[in-house]
Amino acid sequence: MKPLDCARIETDLAAVAADEGNAAAQRRVSAHIEHCEACRAMLDDYRNVESELAALRERRVDPGHLGQARERLEAGLADLRRRIVRYAIFASPLGNVLVARTEMGVVLVEYLRGHAARWPAMLEAEGLEPIEDEAELSSLHRDFGNYLAGRSRQLDWPVDWRLVRSDFQREVLKATAAIPYGAVVSYKRVAREIGQPKAVRAVAQALRHNPVAIAIPCHRVIGSEGTLVGYAGGKTDLKEKLLSVEGVPVERARGDYRVARDSMYVLVPGDTEYCLPSCPSAETLRSGWPTLFGSRERAESAGYRPCTTCRPDLHPLVPRRMP
Amino acid sequence: MVVVSDEGFQYLVVEHHGEIYRYLVRITGRSTDADDLSQETFLRAFRAYASGKLCGDARAWLFAIATNLMRNHFRSQKRRQRAHDAMMMRDVATEPDGASGREVGEIIEEVVAELPLKQRAAFLQRKVHGFEYDTIAKNLGCSPDSARANVFQATKKIRRALDGSAKRVDGKSSHAKEGP
Repeated sequence: MKPLDCARIETDLAAVAADEGNAAAQRRVSAHIEHCEACRAMLDDYRNVESELAALRERRVDPGHLGQARERLEAGLADLRRRIVRYAIFASPLGNVLVARTEMGVVLVEYLRGHAARWPAMLEAEGLEPIEDEAELSSLHRDFGNYLAGRSRQLDWPVDWRLVRSDFQREVLKATAAIPYGAVVSYKRVAREIGQPKAVRAVAQALRHNPVAIAIPCHRVIGSEGTLVGYAGGKTDLKEKLLSVEGVPVERARGDYRVARDSMYVLVPGDTEYCLPSCPSAETLRSGWPTLFGSRERAESAGYRPCTTCRPDLHPLVPRRMP
Repeated sequence: MVVVSDEGFQYLVVEHHGEIYRYLVRITGRSTDADDLSQETFLRAFRAYASGKLCGDARAWLFAIATNLMRNHFRSQKRRQRAHDAMMMRDVATEPDGASGREVGEIIEEVVAELPLKQRAAFLQRKVHGFEYDTIAKNLGCSPDSARANVFQATKKIRRALDGSAKRVDGKSSHAKEGP
């Protein structure tokens, strides 16, 4: 083998000095330096460089700066964790529903039917970072399915309130969250509950923009006359479905839905006993904005007893046949 | 409610933040840049981790992210100029105080600081952080041969610089300090 000339052997010298040379490179180097003193010296130079590099490896950075960088990183990560939103889209009898949660709780439940989805903009406006994550949402998906099938009575989900727009809306949603399963109340009643009896329209708007539909049961709030009024911007049929799941009798009248109030048990605000709609002590029915229950069982599981005057336990309402 | 375990990621931070930070200090010459870039590296990594997109070798993956961010950081001509200026006011290296008085380590650092970015990254990943050429190639988006050539060019410059300074010291060149 003809030895390489000096210009071409240098890469091999560097490789051999760094213990990276393969057998062929080793042979080329040995053959060359045997008769070339300059390149033998250069090999030594490269070995010297390699040993000097140890100092570069061991050179420490300022531990103060590193500590600060680490602290900033931890703060940055904590902030990012707070802003990460995991979501999944659940197929359901209500259509596709997006459910999103943060480390704090469920932040958004949105029907994807109809209008353009508002969730990307809503999340972005809050500086949130959405990540699709079906696995992480699987337990919520199960809860959701059980709820819609009537197998469970509540979505026991912690709520992250950060998409709530105002203190007023939060008050409205908190009052709404307290309405028992299988019961309905009027917008007026919610307005009264939050101490603003005149703000009926504002209550309706606050509920229309409920970011956590179903989990905060805004579908349990209806018009004073029993009409469903509205839901999530024109999705009254979904409201009807949700109420039916809970055993609230809803009838269809002239293209609209209406809760059959005369087929429901009545609970006067502040009372602990529920009544038949015909009960004399439920006279306040027309003025008191009562809570209405679809069945005795729902009223009793919410903690109420039958009235001792009208005895709904002895004269139960005949369940109306639903269309 | 189920909460994703962050323990796995926290382990990556504990294990690798120091090394990534040191890499970025060496490559940018400025602790403030290293602070920003190491932060961004781990935030990006966390996003990927949270989306279940963590790939095999976490350490190499973090170096790849850091290297990309660093290259974007220096991308525009304007920024390159600023990077050059920044290098002139490195806040982490010792100021040279004349050829004969300089330590070998300082000469090496100075040569490294003046290497083109890609060479500097390849050289540091190989000689300081001990990555294989295949990994370096992936991190830099080039072929393993190109990674090897970049490391060689850098090493050659250091060899020459050390050789030159040794000759100057031996030969009392005009660059060496003379007595008063």
